[in-house]
Amino acid sequence: MSAEIQILQAIRFKGRPAGADLASAVGSSWSAVAVSLRLLVESGRCVEADGCYRLTPAGRDRLSSLTAAERGSIDRESLADAYERFDKYNSELKRIVVDWQLKDGVKQNDHTDPGYDAKVIAQLVELHAEFQPLLADIVDLVPRLNHYPARFKSALDKVRAGTHAWFAGPLIDSYHTVWFELHEDLIGLTGRTRIDEAEARRAE
Amino acid sequence: MTGVKAVHAAPRVDAVLLDGKTGLSKHSLGGKAEGIERMLALGLPVPPAFVLSTGVYQRFRAESSRLPDDIWRRVRDLVHALERKTGRTFGGGARPLLVSVRSGAAMSMPGMMDTILNVGMTADVHQAFTEQSGDSGYAADVRRRFAEQFERTLGRSVPADPWEQLRQAIEGVFTSWTSPRAVAYRRDRGIADDAGTAVTVQAMVFGNVDYNSGSGVLFTRNPLTGGAEVYGEWIAGGQGEDVVSGRANAQPLSELAAQLPGTHRELMAAATRLERAGGDVQDIEFTVESGRLWLLQTRTAKRSPEAATRHAVAMVREGLIDRHQALDRIHADQVEALLRPRVDPQALTSARVVSRGKPASPGIGIGAVALDSSEVDDRRDRGQEVVLARVTTEPDDVPAMSSVHAVVTERGGATSHAAVVSREIAVPCVVGCGTGTVTRLAGRVVTVDGFSGVIYDGALPIVEAATAADSDLSALTEWARAESDAPAGADLLNMLRRRSSRRSFD
Repeated sequence: MSAEIQILQAIRFKGRPAGADLASAVGSSWSAVAVSLRLLVESGRCVEADGCYRLTPAGRDRLSSLTAAERGSIDRESLADAYERFDKYNSELKRIVVDWQLKDGVKQNDHTDPGYDAKVIAQLVELHAEFQPLLADIVDLVPRLNHYPARFKSALDKVRAGTHAWFAGPLIDSYHTVWFELHEDLIGLTGRTRIDEAEARRAE
Repeated sequence: MTGVKAVHAAPRVDAVLLDGKTGLSKHSLGGKAEGIERMLALGLPVPPAFVLSTGVYQRFRAESSRLPDDIWRRVRDLVHALERKTGRTFGGGARPLLVSVRSGAAMSMPGMMDTILNVGMTADVHQAFTEQSGDSGYAADVRRRFAEQFERTLGRSVPADPWEQLRQAIEGVFTSWTSPRAVAYRRDRGIADDAGTAVTVQAMVFGNVDYNSGSGVLFTRNPLTGGAEVYGEWIAGGQGEDVVSGRANAQPLSELAAQLPGTHRELMAAATRLERAGGDVQDIEFTVESGRLWLLQTRTAKRSPEAATRHAVAMVREGLIDRHQALDRIHADQVEALLRPRVDPQALTSARVVSRGKPASPGIGIGAVALDSSEVDDRRDRGQEVVLARVTTEPDDVPAMSSVHAVVTERGGATSHAAVVSREIAVPCVVGCGTGTVTRLAGRVVTVDGFSGVIYDGALPIVEAATAADSDLSALTEWARAESDAPAGADLLNMLRRRSSRRSFD
């Protein structure tokens, strides 16, 4: 059985995920996740339709109180340091994603130039490698986030194997999707809001 | 290009009556007087006028912004010439003469410098006009317009002496060459600061004198859509400034045709001649005074990218210009604009902008604004097309983003979550529209232009992107290939870019 907070957070991030996608998003097996989901549905914290799950207002409230409690239990000072270190990688990742989508910042990349794409993918591979020590530190501080390393690696492997959608595709666990969710988790854990962060231009 | 030859390398110091054969260059005359010269050379009806050349401006500057005495004596002679030509007298008499004093530089600087109309308006003139028209409202209207414009422009009250009015108006218009906004405009466009402006002084005609009078503007072809038809507006009983400023209720030219068919026919004939003589689409200002047509100004029309492209091709087909000239007139970015879907340029003239932000994902989307995922679902369930507006987007907005026609955010830039996701799923997106946008847009139907970052009120008609099969674009492509011996597959945009970089070295 997976931690309730992990599953609720994953449902929140994904909107209306299918059960199987939830399992990979929390790095768990379907059978383990299925048990937690059944309990959540029974307690009225989420509802299921056509194999997809979404939060009820009660589920959102429950998630808020769980994350508030979590914030009280972690080493917030160390996490704040980690978040500051994260900022540099975050800016770099965004730049790489924009290069992936746009050439010269304006023209859509139609992915007909393999040389250009290869260069951008190489930058992502490099960033990924440099980011690993910080990611490990973050997982040490907040063990609930332990599913992230495998999800980043899985997305990167698929990009390197030539499946472009795993670079920044939404609605799948692409590198950008996973990154964004991690960022969202860090914003919540450090007691910030996305709107504050947008103001400070760390998140937009 | 025009009937006026550039015979003088340096601007000549001159104040001359315009007669269609001054032989002065556009450099000396400025755009406005040069247009009048072109019209006079064709024998078209233009109110008598004279010009103080850009050379006079140089002396004005050199003499501490004062009109030199010899020039002023010349101005008085020239006003007497206008009196003889119009049978009116300046500043009084039974048939008074009023004049307009207009700026006009060789390089177009629209709206950057001053113009003063109705100069010469005095108490005596007011009286004479009232007696002449039997309508005190008309004379009062002219006097009020003059005083307002004079005081607003020159920052002082109107002198009683008409000659002093004229002198101050000329000096004021010369001085407006160095106004902060004119200086900033030139700096933006790399126009030299020392060129100076000419001043054109022209006998006023009145579009507000009676029912068979009015003012209008006319484009010899539609400057928005690129259509071949004449496009214009007419205000019965108005003065020119009303049309230009969009102040009064303008009507289509068909109203003029219905009211004064002969005048309308004469106007259409003049428009055709001016376009042929100018070799390009003209933007013409005209006034009708008691049924009589007067042309005040003509210049090459400013146009939408679409119109510029379509007009150039049409004019080649009509034998008015050759293929090289057509290619000279078209820029790659104008063609690029044609290759995208776009809001109908005709609809844009009356469209209301409700918000602006940074364009983040290309395309145009129309829909009713929903503020969150559940509102998106509700509206879609009711069969509506939807636009999602958020302060910023979050991961759980993604499913909703993929089911809407456009995304708008208050905060963020080109690397924001909304921008990245919208580009991936090919949904038009405008980001960073500013605080309060979401509330302002809630529930409205809007048109979101992801190319320009502009959001319009209502559902505007969209023009589909042109394709390579577009007959105008394929003609241009063929001409550009033939001109440069480019291979059969050469791309029009690339050829135009190469052409313009080559020309900038010439």
